[in-house]
Amino acid sequence: MDKDKMYTSRLFLYAVLPLVKEIGTEYGYFRGKTGVIQISVRLPEGEEGLHYMLEDGQVQTALGLHPSPDVQLHFKDQEHFNRFFLGKTKKLPQIKGLKHLGLVMAAFKTLLKMSTLLSAKTPPADEKTKELVVRLFLFLLSRGISRLNRMGHPQVQAWSSISPNRVYAWEVDGFPDTAAHLRVKAGKTKAAKGKYTRSQPFFTMRFADLDSALAILLQTGDFITLTAQQKLILEGAPEFGAKIGDFMQLVGSYVQG
Amino acid sequence: MSLSKEKLIQLEQKAHALRQSIVETVYHAGSGHLGGALSMIDAVTLLYYHRMNIDRGDPTWPERDRFIMSKGHAGIGFVSVLADLGYINREDLKTFNLTGSKLGIHLDATKVPGVDASTGSLGHGLSIALGMATAAQMMGKSYITYCMLGDGECNEGAVWEAAMAIGSRNQHNLITFVDRNHAMLDGNTEDVMKLEPFQDKWTAFGFHALTVNGHDFAAIDEAIGEALSRQDKPTCIILDTIKGAGVDFAAGDYRWHYGAINEELAKKAQESLTAYHKERLAALEGA
Amino acid sequence: MGIAYTSLDTTKLSTAEVYAHTLCELAQDDPRIVTLTADLAKSTKIGVFQEKFPERFVNVGIAEQNMFGMAAGMAACGLIPFTCTFAIFNSCRALDQVHTDICYQNLNVKMIASHAGTSFGQAGSTHHATEDIAIMRAMANLVVMVPADGQETAAAVRAAIAHQGPVYIRINRGFDQIVYPQGIEDFQLGRANLLHEGSDLCFIACGSAVFSALQAARELAAEGIKARVLDMHTIKPLDKEAVKKAVHDTRRIITAEDHTVVGGLGSAVAEVIAESGMGCALRRLGIQDAFSPIGYHEDLMSLHGIDANGLVRAARETLKMDFEEDDDWTDEV
Repeated sequence: MDKDKMYTSRLFLYAVLPLVKEIGTEYGYFRGKTGVIQISVRLPEGEEGLHYMLEDGQVQTALGLHPSPDVQLHFKDQEHFNRFFLGKTKKLPQIKGLKHLGLVMAAFKTLLKMSTLLSAKTPPADEKTKELVVRLFLFLLSRGISRLNRMGHPQVQAWSSISPNRVYAWEVDGFPDTAAHLRVKAGKTKAAKGKYTRSQPFFTMRFADLDSALAILLQTGDFITLTAQQKLILEGAPEFGAKIGDFMQLVGSYVQG
Repeated sequence: MSLSKEKLIQLEQKAHALRQSIVETVYHAGSGHLGGALSMIDAVTLLYYHRMNIDRGDPTWPERDRFIMSKGHAGIGFVSVLADLGYINREDLKTFNLTGSKLGIHLDATKVPGVDASTGSLGHGLSIALGMATAAQMMGKSYITYCMLGDGECNEGAVWEAAMAIGSRNQHNLITFVDRNHAMLDGNTEDVMKLEPFQDKWTAFGFHALTVNGHDFAAIDEAIGEALSRQDKPTCIILDTIKGAGVDFAAGDYRWHYGAINEELAKKAQESLTAYHKERLAALEGA
Repeated sequence: MGIAYTSLDTTKLSTAEVYAHTLCELAQDDPRIVTLTADLAKSTKIGVFQEKFPERFVNVGIAEQNMFGMAAGMAACGLIPFTCTFAIFNSCRALDQVHTDICYQNLNVKMIASHAGTSFGQAGSTHHATEDIAIMRAMANLVVMVPADGQETAAAVRAAIAHQGPVYIRINRGFDQIVYPQGIEDFQLGRANLLHEGSDLCFIACGSAVFSALQAARELAAEGIKARVLDMHTIKPLDKEAVKKAVHDTRRIITAEDHTVVGGLGSAVAEVIAESGMGCALRRLGIQDAFSPIGYHEDLMSLHGIDANGLVRAARETLKMDFEEDDDWTDEV
């Protein structure tokens, strides 16, 4: 139980919350703003968090705690943190740095938008938002699997520890900016954005279009139907494809309410 | 098909012109395999200007008689024949050995029209000639293949592989010549590697072997005539020659296997050749 | 124009026999095809041709240098001569003739070099041909092919005839393991055949090592490793694009040949890799610069590490090799 809670917390911290940069930039919430915003939580093993460094609208994300953030959204206990991001409570965290109202507002606008986008039950209407959502999910999932591995999740570790140097990739035809990939080797993993070009990926989960990708990611469609329709193509070893699918669902199970 | 006096005189004049051309080519090149070119040129003259069935307009005519100059280093002599036949440009003779020239010590069959094989690595020519003669047989063609070997060249085992095969196959549409000038690079043949009894060796390999004066057109021609009519054995004509024949300072001297000709020597050689052929011509006309 | 052999035929006929039969079929329609051997009609199986076309066959006796000189002369007169002798004699004893009479003059001679590699294992090093690929690769104008089995040899012979210029085809002694039971549909000189897909590593093999590679790939697949197998039947001109693609896609290349690792297929592949500027792991399997002992071919292949086991072993070792420079394992944020 505690282990699962830890998975949830850390997945939110290191796989989900980095998406703030993408969202805030996309919707212009950070335009013209400068300062450091930190989100942190007190976990049984100590304080953990991540922070965003804004420089006139340009955002850089860094995992870990900043010595003197301008704005801090601090969750005093793990349960609150988990429930908040699972959408089970609207109780706000402690907010330090209210005098930087602009930054605080930007942070909350972004978190709200993130929640809307990621917990949608139906796909968005316009292409631009569709692309964004797919991109967010693929980054989240690739980083999520890597994070689970780092945390020693037994299911993921069993797979990564015996793996030779391989790359697993996700792609949507016609939308190269949505691509993400995961490198694995002998127990180590590395998630990254974009296409892996240094060699042919060992396995690629390829979507024919944004709608097919969303169908899987928002779980409104299923693997088998989409594969039959050739909207979802698994390139490379199919048995490994199934594993990746499982891990995607595993990540989802921890971060979805 | 014996030679008329008129024909003999023509051949004599041709051989003289070719010898002069050889000396000139060696002079332009600076140095060359003078000795072996001068020793074989009478036989080659007889072949190209009397015996061989060739097309003066087309060196690649498929029905032509073939000539394999297995002693490839005598190229500096052979090119004069090619120039005279019009297969190559006479002016090109002056470029012999120069960078970028088509003509070098060992003639390249893919670059020089009229050359049937790129020889130079001694011992290869007889096998190639055998291949050509065999091809004629297989294709039902009547061309004759002539092969000119050097005597030192006959040290090479490959020559005897070919000889054994020619004898074994009775390949009589191939006529073998050996330019027996008795000398090689390092000395006289009998001092370096004994060839004698040379004719016996060819006989032992199944040839009708005979030795003739390599500077006597009539004698060589008679031997060729005989060879062409024989069906029981292939023929080897050993041409008893003088290395450097015609040039007094080079004749009979193994050191002129390869030598340098400057302007002075060139002049001397020219004069020597003129005297040499004058004497031969006189002997012909007198006879 | 198809010469179809049933898979039953290919199991009954050794590679050399398939070659000889193919030649007979082709010679039926093409009078230019003639053959020569140096007292090895029986061993090289070209005796079949001798029986059918005695007037187009020449046995020069034990005189390989003469054979290649003759072949050159015949080619110069418009015939297409096929020479048949052991690879060691083709590449060593008669090399001057091959080099000067045939390659230098770019003549249309097709050289069938049998008993290649250690396939005549019992005969010892005097009859092994373990340097011939390296030697022939260095001859300008020469095409060098090493087919894997009978069907591929037939294809190679057809390709050789279609090619204008000298060709060296290296085959084994007797029965080869069958790599192409159904024949090859689209054989192209100079284009490697992809026999097994994968992106973990790539085996590039020729001749007897192709079957080893295929077996190894299947074994590795069972443990979840996906190996690509390229049958590099033409050593010269080498299919550089296939090599570069394999380097890019898999980053691990293992070459395998029944030949020394010095100068053969492995070296040819290494040349392409080195000039490509791409990083990858390379392992050359073959005879490690030594003369081979006496033994059965299968045993010698095992000894030299070019049987399936040897390739599997090499694959496992190579997969542990580190060649990727970035050891940064932090997730991108």
